[in-house]
Amino acid sequence: MTVALTRPTIEVDDDPWALYELSLAERWGDGAPLLPPTDDRVHALLAATPLAPDHVLGKLPPRHGEATVELVAINATMAGCEPAAFPLVIAAIEALARPEFNAIALSTTTSSVHPVLIVNGPSRDDLGIDYKAGCLGGAAGRGSMTIGRAVSLCLRNVGGQRAGETSRSVFGQPARFGQCFAEWAERSPWPTLAERQGFTREQDVVTVHGSKGNFPVADTNNDDPRDLAYMLAKCISYPLSNYYLELTGGCGQIVVVVNPMWAARFGKAFASLQSFQEYLREHAWQPIDLWRPANQEILRRKDRVDAQGRVYLLNRPEQFVPVVAGGLGSLHAMFLPSWCQSEIQSAAVVRPAGA
Amino acid sequence: MNAPATPRRRIHIRRPTADFPSDEGAPAFVLERPLAGVRVGIRHDGTWRSWQYIARVWADWLRRDGAIPVLLQTGERTGPEGEKTHADLEAWHGQIDCAVSGLGTCGSCTMWSVRDAIAVEAKQKPAIAAICDEFVSHARTTASFLGHPNLKVLVLPYPLETRPESELQVVAEQYYPRFLALVGAAR
Repeated sequence: MTVALTRPTIEVDDDPWALYELSLAERWGDGAPLLPPTDDRVHALLAATPLAPDHVLGKLPPRHGEATVELVAINATMAGCEPAAFPLVIAAIEALARPEFNAIALSTTTSSVHPVLIVNGPSRDDLGIDYKAGCLGGAAGRGSMTIGRAVSLCLRNVGGQRAGETSRSVFGQPARFGQCFAEWAERSPWPTLAERQGFTREQDVVTVHGSKGNFPVADTNNDDPRDLAYMLAKCISYPLSNYYLELTGGCGQIVVVVNPMWAARFGKAFASLQSFQEYLREHAWQPIDLWRPANQEILRRKDRVDAQGRVYLLNRPEQFVPVVAGGLGSLHAMFLPSWCQSEIQSAAVVRPAGA
Repeated sequence: MNAPATPRRRIHIRRPTADFPSDEGAPAFVLERPLAGVRVGIRHDGTWRSWQYIARVWADWLRRDGAIPVLLQTGERTGPEGEKTHADLEAWHGQIDCAVSGLGTCGSCTMWSVRDAIAVEAKQKPAIAAICDEFVSHARTTASFLGHPNLKVLVLPYPLETRPESELQVVAEQYYPRFLALVGAAR
């Protein structure tokens, strides 16, 4: 039985340009064309979840609009989501609505931070979620583009996020259109991100990370993987990191996207994921002399300088979150710096029984 | 003769926007008593040194005027450090009769300044948010979203950060009477 939808209807010319113009006038969109959320299309998405259309996934900041499953389906339709991908959008919304993700601060800050989605699980290939070459932008898999965009549209239309108004982000970033990629689990020497978050490899899982952007690094000068990891730690602890503005390095995580070639090297050099994380933590610091005298005084006042004159970036090894993805070019990595005020969240994808 | 134009087909779509909560709002409180003996909370975070300076100056003046300043530096908001900040705020609520919460001079710090002021008012104690003028509209919309559109805002010049102490001293002097008036304390 088809459940009646409750959101108001609008009549519009059956013309893609008419919908596009309307979306711009009503400020629904992200500036790019949208697909029409007709009842047939919305119902197709709703049929892909066991949740009722009036089920509230959470209140989305900054304006605390209720994210009902129906409203999320309408936005996911506009983003071009196929029904099979819709439960991943729901999982992402559930994850980012949790208090520890701190979406209210994240959606109002002057920072560029935005929720980036990392997917694990068996649906990755069927849904077209990018995890190989160009996975952080440009690979153009349908799942990556539409799932990420659907979540961003929900933040705009359900949360009321508007640049320069409710969001004071100075620059924003391309991921505000939506960013979603998957882990190349088969090429990882470590447990998957989802497994580390308490799930199994058989589950589809969406992890949400408050990322400030894509920070690229490259290297061909270090043959020893421990030397490479050392330099990676030094890059991650760049002196104008948000972490050095904070009173401690105890909040948030940094996602380190490692290409499969480097992952294999790290896998041989480090006995376990934990030992790799510990090594990164151990070397992610800068000497206090790096900063100018007035800045040194501030760091000392915040008790960020240890007895050896080191200013550590993070308090705990597990705040480094390695994820294997990307093409097979063996000289690049990317890290997604934290905004420091948001804890990474994961949620399992739930589908109707028998689906 | 031209054939009549075919009428364009129309479709129905669903509106994608949420209904946002109304602006009814909670009541704002006023001290309405002399300043002497009043425990005045001053909340700051670890980021904005300009506000820390003004907070120290105002604390001295509050002591001079017979009040008891209770300064609180808030820390991180998530993880184990976030739990500590939450506990510190709860304890601070019990130690004060009124408060000023600042500084709002970025997106999230404005939101937290407003949010922490609203938490004091939820205890039926007067509180104001200290916000730089560039972020006042953001503070007012945030206060509305958080159910307290009547929250009082002390509007400070922007930017305060990077000003020398001599200028901050002048700002502290200019805005101290306004701060007391908004809280409702008589000298």
